[in-house]
Amino acid sequence: MNKKIQRSLAVVSAAALVFGVSAVTSATAAPKTVYLAFQAPLTGSNALTGQDELTGAKFALSEYNATNPAIKVELVLADDQGLAEVAAVVAPGIAANKKIIGLIGPAFSGATQASLPAYKATGLPMISMSATRVSLTDKKAPVNGFPIFKRVVANDKFQGPALARYAIKGVTSPAVYLVDDKTAYGKGLADYTAPSIKSLIKGTDSVPENTSDYTSVVAKVKASGANVVIYCGYAPDAAKFVKALRDGGYTGIFAAGDGVLKQTFPNNAGNTAAEGARLTAADVPFEDVATPAQMVAYTKLTGIKIPGTYVTSTYNATNIYLACIKQGVITRPGMQNCLTAGSFKGIAGDTIKFDRYGDIIGGAAVGAFTVKAGRITYVAVA
Amino acid sequence: MNLQVLESQFWSLCLQGIALGFIYVLISLGYTMVYGVLRLINFANSEVFMVGTFATVVAQVGILQNQTDSQSLHGFRLIYTLVFALLFSMLICGFLGILVELVAYRRLRALGTNRLASLISAIAVSIVLLETTRIVTFSRPQTSPRLLDKWSFGEVAGANFRIDTVMVIVSGIIIFFTLDRFVTKTRLGKAIRAVSMSEEISKLMGINLNRVVSLTFFIGGLTTGAAAFFYTTVYETTQFNVGFNLGLAAFTTAVLGGIGNLRGAFYGGMFLGVLEQFASAILGSQWKSVTVFTVLVLVLLLKPNGIFGEAVQQTRT
Repeated sequence: MNKKIQRSLAVVSAAALVFGVSAVTSATAAPKTVYLAFQAPLTGSNALTGQDELTGAKFALSEYNATNPAIKVELVLADDQGLAEVAAVVAPGIAANKKIIGLIGPAFSGATQASLPAYKATGLPMISMSATRVSLTDKKAPVNGFPIFKRVVANDKFQGPALARYAIKGVTSPAVYLVDDKTAYGKGLADYTAPSIKSLIKGTDSVPENTSDYTSVVAKVKASGANVVIYCGYAPDAAKFVKALRDGGYTGIFAAGDGVLKQTFPNNAGNTAAEGARLTAADVPFEDVATPAQMVAYTKLTGIKIPGTYVTSTYNATNIYLACIKQGVITRPGMQNCLTAGSFKGIAGDTIKFDRYGDIIGGAAVGAFTVKAGRITYVAVA
Repeated sequence: MNLQVLESQFWSLCLQGIALGFIYVLISLGYTMVYGVLRLINFANSEVFMVGTFATVVAQVGILQNQTDSQSLHGFRLIYTLVFALLFSMLICGFLGILVELVAYRRLRALGTNRLASLISAIAVSIVLLETTRIVTFSRPQTSPRLLDKWSFGEVAGANFRIDTVMVIVSGIIIFFTLDRFVTKTRLGKAIRAVSMSEEISKLMGINLNRVVSLTFFIGGLTTGAAAFFYTTVYETTQFNVGFNLGLAAFTTAVLGGIGNLRGAFYGGMFLGVLEQFASAILGSQWKSVTVFTVLVLVLLLKPNGIFGEAVQQTRT
C-alpha cells in the first residue's frame, strides 16, 4: 500500500480514536438517512451503565426501522467513559458532524456538563436518559443546559427527599447511616437526600466506586447503631455493600436510589442479602413496561434477558427523537422546535412534555420499589 | 474523625485488615517476582488477577455446575470444589503469566530494546485482556455462588473469626512460606535468585535464562491466581475492571515492602491492609487513598527502596 495512503489511514484511525466516535452501521449516506448520536460510557469502568442504555436506543431504533420508514435513522456512538475530561474531547467531534440532528445522552451528569459548550455552540439538541444533577436544568446555575438540554428522568431534587422518605417509612426510631460512592451522581443524590432527615443521620461515608472491601464501613455502621442504611451509588457496589452488611450482622433497612434499580443488584447480592431492600427511581424496569413480545425481541436483539437501569428512559428518549423524525424533522433547528413544543408518549403510557429548562413538566414520578423473593418489585410512588 | 469506632471495632478492623493484606500479598508476589528477575513492572498482573477471578467462577459454575442460587456445600464436596477452583485459577493465571512473558517481554528482551518498550507492551496486553473480558461479559459483574457457608469460629474482642477470613489468612501463610522456601532452598529457586542478581553471570553458569524468566512469570501467576480465588470466595463477585484497584493496592504493597523482595511484600501487604481499614474507619473511606499514598511517599522519602528494600537481600528473588 502506498505510504501516503497508509499514513492517511493511520491519521484517520487515530482521529477516530481520539474523538471516540464510530458509526454503528455503514456510513454510506443514502438519501433520507439521518443520524442520532448516542453518548455514554461504552468502555472503561462505567461501561455497564452505557452499554445497558445503548440496548434501549438500539431496540427503539430496530422497532422504528422495521416499519420501513421514509426517513431511515442510524446511530453514531460516542464513548465518553462517563468522565468529564473525556466528554470534553468527544463532544466537539459529534457537534461538528452536521448529519447528526440529535443526541441521546450523555448518560452522566459530569460528562453532560463538560459536553454542553460544544453542543450549545452548534445547537445540537440533547435528551439525557440518566443525568440527574439538578444544576443542568436550574435556570440560576452558572452552567445549565438551556436551551438545548432536556432529560426524561426526575432530577435529584425530587429523588433525594423521596428516597429519604421511603427509607425510614415505618421504622421505629430511625437512625440513618448515609453512604455515597463519591461519583457526581452518588454525591449529588446524597446531598439532596440528607437535608430532610438531617437529625436522624448518625454517620456518613464516601466509599469510592469499585471498592471491593466494605468491612470498615460495616464496622462504622455497627458502631453507630444505625438501623437504616441509605446508599447512593450504583448496583454492582450496592450488591457488594449489602452483602458485607448482612455478613457483618447488620439486620436493618437497606435503601438506595435509581443507580441500584436493576435486577443485577439482587442477583449479585445473593439469595437473601438484598431481600427487603428499598429502592427508588425515576426509571421503571423495562421488563415491567414492555410487552412480552417486545421483551422477546429485545432479548433476541441484545442477547440480554434482564435489561439494566435506564433502558426504559433511553428507549423513551430515542422514541421522542423518532416521533419528531416521523413528522419529517431532519435538521437540528427543526428538532429543537419539535422537542420544545411537542408532547410525547412514554412506553408506560405517560405523557412527556418538557418545560423551558428541559425537565419534564409536572416532574417525572419517583417510583418506590422493593426486593421481594429476589425480584425488584414496584410498590408505589415514593 | 471518628475515633469512637475504635472502642468496639479495633480488633475487628485489625483482623479484616490482615485478611485483606494477605490478598494483597499474593497479588504483589506477581509484581515482585517479575521485578526481581527482569527489573520491570509487570503491569499486566492486575489483569491476570482479573482473569483468575473469572476462572474461579468458571470452575465453580461452569465446570462443577454449581448454580448461583445453590445451597452452600458441605464435607468432601465443599473441599473438592474449593481445591479444584483454587488449582484451576492458579494454573490459568500461571499459564497466562507465561503467555504475557512470551508476548510482551521475550522478543523485546531478545532484541535488546529499551525497557520502556516492555512496559508499554505489558500495558497493551493488560488493556487487551481488560477490554476482551468486558466485551465477553457485556460489562456485567459475575457472581460466584456462596458455596462456603460463612459460619464463625467465634468472636474475640469484637473480631469475628469467620471461616472465609480464617481460610484466607491460613492459606495465605502456607502459600507465602512455601514460595519463600522454594525460592531460598530449591535448585530452581536458586536459579531465579541468581538471574535476579546478574543475568550475564547466570548465563555463563549455564542457567537457561528464558526458562527461568518463564518460570518466574508462572510462579507470579500462580500466587496471583490464588489471590483471585480467595478474593472471589470472600467477596463472591467479580467484573472486568476488578483488577485495577486490587492491582494498584498490590503494586503499592510491593513498593512499600521493597519491590523485588518477597518478605518485604509480606510485611507491605499486612501494613497496607491494616492501614486501609483504620484510615477508612477513622477518617472516612474518602480519605483512604490519601492516607495510604501519603504514607507511601513518606516511607519512600525515608527508605527509597521500601521498608525492607535492602534489609533482606538473601530472600530477594
